[in-house]
Amino acid sequence: MGLKFKIEKVLKKFPYNISFEIRDNIVFLYGEVESYQDWVEIGLAVGKIKGVEGVVNKIKWKGYPEEKIRKREERRRKLYEENKDKIIGEYDVVIIGGGVIGTIIARELSKYKLKIALLEKGSDVSLGASKANNGMIHPGVAPPKNTLKRKLNVKGNAMYDRLCEELGVRFKRVGSLWLITPRTLQKYRKYLPGPLYKFVSAYVFPYIVKLKGIRNGVKGIKVIRGKKIFEYEPKATRDAWAALYVPSTGILDPYELVVALAENAQANGVEIHLNTEVVGFIKKEDKVKGVVTTKGTFLTRYVVNAAGVYADEIAELAGAREYTIHPRKGVILLFDKALKDWVRHCVTELRFPAPKHSKGGGINPSIHGNILWGPTAVEIPDKDDTSVHREEIYEVLERYKNILPEFPTNKLIRYFAGVRAPTFTEAFIIRPAKWVRNFLHVAGIQSPGLASAPAIAEYAIEQLKKMGLKLEPNPNFNPRREPIPTINEMSLEELNAKIKEDPRWGNIICPCEMVSEMEIVEAIKRGAKTLDAIKRRTRAGMGTCQGSYCTLKIAEILSRELGVPLSEIVKENNGKLFDGTVRGEKL
Amino acid sequence: MKDIVIIGGGPSGMAAAVRLAEKGYDVAIIERKEELGGILDQCIHDGFGTKIFGVALSGPEFAGEFIEQVQKLGIDVYLKTYVKSVEASGKVKEIITVSPDGVEIIKTKSIVYAIGCRERHQFEIKIGGTRPAGVYTAGMVQRLVNLYGILPGKNVVIVGGGDVGMIVARHLYLEGVDSILVVFPEEFFAGLPRNVQQCILDFGIPYRPRTVVKEIVGKDRVEGVILVQVDEKWNPISGTEEFYPCDAVILSVGLVPYTKKLTDIGAEIDPRTKGPIVNEFFETTVRGVFAAGNLVQIFDYVDDAVESAYLAAEGVEKYLRGEERLERPIFINPGENVRTLTPHRVEWKDERPITAFMRPAIEGKAWIIVRNERGEILEKSFRRYVRPSTLERIEISRDILENAEEVFIDVRGL
Repeated sequence: MGLKFKIEKVLKKFPYNISFEIRDNIVFLYGEVESYQDWVEIGLAVGKIKGVEGVVNKIKWKGYPEEKIRKREERRRKLYEENKDKIIGEYDVVIIGGGVIGTIIARELSKYKLKIALLEKGSDVSLGASKANNGMIHPGVAPPKNTLKRKLNVKGNAMYDRLCEELGVRFKRVGSLWLITPRTLQKYRKYLPGPLYKFVSAYVFPYIVKLKGIRNGVKGIKVIRGKKIFEYEPKATRDAWAALYVPSTGILDPYELVVALAENAQANGVEIHLNTEVVGFIKKEDKVKGVVTTKGTFLTRYVVNAAGVYADEIAELAGAREYTIHPRKGVILLFDKALKDWVRHCVTELRFPAPKHSKGGGINPSIHGNILWGPTAVEIPDKDDTSVHREEIYEVLERYKNILPEFPTNKLIRYFAGVRAPTFTEAFIIRPAKWVRNFLHVAGIQSPGLASAPAIAEYAIEQLKKMGLKLEPNPNFNPRREPIPTINEMSLEELNAKIKEDPRWGNIICPCEMVSEMEIVEAIKRGAKTLDAIKRRTRAGMGTCQGSYCTLKIAEILSRELGVPLSEIVKENNGKLFDGTVRGEKL
Repeated sequence: MKDIVIIGGGPSGMAAAVRLAEKGYDVAIIERKEELGGILDQCIHDGFGTKIFGVALSGPEFAGEFIEQVQKLGIDVYLKTYVKSVEASGKVKEIITVSPDGVEIIKTKSIVYAIGCRERHQFEIKIGGTRPAGVYTAGMVQRLVNLYGILPGKNVVIVGGGDVGMIVARHLYLEGVDSILVVFPEEFFAGLPRNVQQCILDFGIPYRPRTVVKEIVGKDRVEGVILVQVDEKWNPISGTEEFYPCDAVILSVGLVPYTKKLTDIGAEIDPRTKGPIVNEFFETTVRGVFAAGNLVQIFDYVDDAVESAYLAAEGVEKYLRGEERLERPIFINPGENVRTLTPHRVEWKDERPITAFMRPAIEGKAWIIVRNERGEILEKSFRRYVRPSTLERIEISRDILENAEEVFIDVRGL
């Protein structure tokens, strides 16, 4: 068997005794290795083999958190037993995961007459990678041709204008500017003596990249040189020899999009269940009958697995384990809006070959005028590890300082990390499960997952159709969603009229971002129950002072509107904002 | 049209308003909160007003003195009013405000900004780790405890050995939290000696010098911190990391003038004080726009902030009366061993000495020297003890500045 031989050959390169089995082109790896890094490397090496459709990496590394995993499984089993007989309802489709993929599929499915439930374990939608990325809508130059990723990226990118217009989400095609500098082809310098190096860098290399873009179906790519570069990006490094301008790159606020998708899906009949964690499945033969959660059981005809970094574990619970996710963390730095004039495009310095573990990344404006630097790419064993170490902050500052040498990096106001959900084949896995007939995988959605999302939703629905789901148009579908009015963007007349309607529009709670009480009340009405949920919907607390002024005021409004004591107000998930004694409240 | 609009109804804003209203000017105060008093409403500890009133008052008492005068003088006060934008370049300045009553445009001949400062947060000092609930600034905690009656947590780590950190430590101790640890990178507390004694030593509150929080640990809520020791240059000493369990982290890591509103109108900022560049009467680089209090630089005492407001009030008067300015400004520059210095230039014709506020960079016996660019000493005064935590008030005679283009202020240790 060809595949078996190829895998053996690849595994021979590693100094370990690794055994494997193949089932329907899915490779299961077993054995023990010295380090987590080796675990990743072996998985990736096998994932690269042509014909491998998935790698389930059951190898254990030194320090493998056996006890933690055992406890997690035990907890799931216990919760499964407690909840499996509590029936919540019967659905046509249950979607697991409230990130951009889950919500966009939910919204797309709400165009049809279906009973749909979306399950999210967190206290809000968009809590995973969907909230912690740089909000860039990639043009589609990077993915290799003949891949699903390439197809969905280019197509998804083009769908954003209409999608955002319908959902009232801010979106701007700022374009990318990829700089070619003396550092771009550094690795090849020794082969290109004297002026040849500059010639190849400035006159040959850009066209190779452009050609790749054209072959991928990306339109409008331009090669620019000399002064023109600084007309596009006035503060870019002066040693840039050339640059590629890609007009279709866009930016948006990723959680604004996810919230809008969820709101619109909900308005069109989708049930969204927050704080609802999947703990197992009720199966009959090769079909899922019910999804068991911490809230009870959702009986269903179809399941969509859009669980992000947890997609592999969800698949395993359903008996559909076809891949392992190897979490890859990305750290992003966020700078004050005061610097908004510093960069116009999504700018990066091209490096070829790309330095290991630093794929992509760069400097880009956010839709609200902040500047973002990053992300990094680091393989981490813990899916929930969104910590940012001080060294990582300096690493990002160091890595991109060449792009904008004069940038005032002391105006850093926040940093955060998101965890990407790649599989070892590094491909989007959007296909029916091989061994569970009504279970659709939408897994391995990493960059350019956000850009591809609208096309992923359409593609996923095609798959569901092939799996037998009947799609009858929903005549009541309304594609439009009205955003929360933002007083910061209103004219004085509009604002005055709003305040005459309700004086709370004129009560400013967050002075840094100029957010009014009524915007916060409106966010709560639409389902925000935590401090961070309000922050993502209104930007209150996102400014220069990072909430040191408005946090208490917002907590007070939450307490009043939700009718819960101040001491019960939560920042996110189960994190109580205040954890001390409260005078007078509960005596 | 108003003669003066004061933005910010804290102690400095009120002080400037009262001084100008007493002289018969038409003054208005714009305040974003529900009442006047600024940050003082949450400062229930005493020690305010020792210089101005000769007694130690609590924050609300101190504010009360001024609020009473504002009311007595019938000064126009706009409460719950937010300044959206200001057009300050012309002679007639326009302030666009937003309040529950609507949008309003207020016209005025001059403006005093007295919007104070903000607290530095965890991201500005690059604390690593996670970002869970349970991390607060000291001011937030003061508010939480004093105005809302809620404790932030049971086992707290306070980061920073400045005055605010020490005061919060004492407060939480008295309110009955289970444990407190104060950490700071300096060799000893950076705040006033009086606070070290009264807030920390008197209560036996544990503290660790040369220690900082490297990382915050915890998923949804703080579960602890990783402490690390630092050397004299505040560089972490590797191998000294230690996990310390706690459920709240309180940051008292400095105050920064809140200058966003000033940069919006084009006022220039001093990178040292992080406040606006001002002349001897606290006028910013935008004509007719003045600044006072902690917006200009961080003062140790509210009494000093109030003094800066009185100087700004004099400047406003000069501006409104159209008094003569010098042909060329004379620059006052920080020289040796000076961390911050206000004002930055002398621009008005006047007889009286110039009041300057200087934060030294060294500790001990010292001469404070005014010299010219050639190093010639123009004036000097002796101090028995200077330290970075104590702002020095100095007076510079006008006559020594004649013919000078710029002077420098040095602190020379003995």
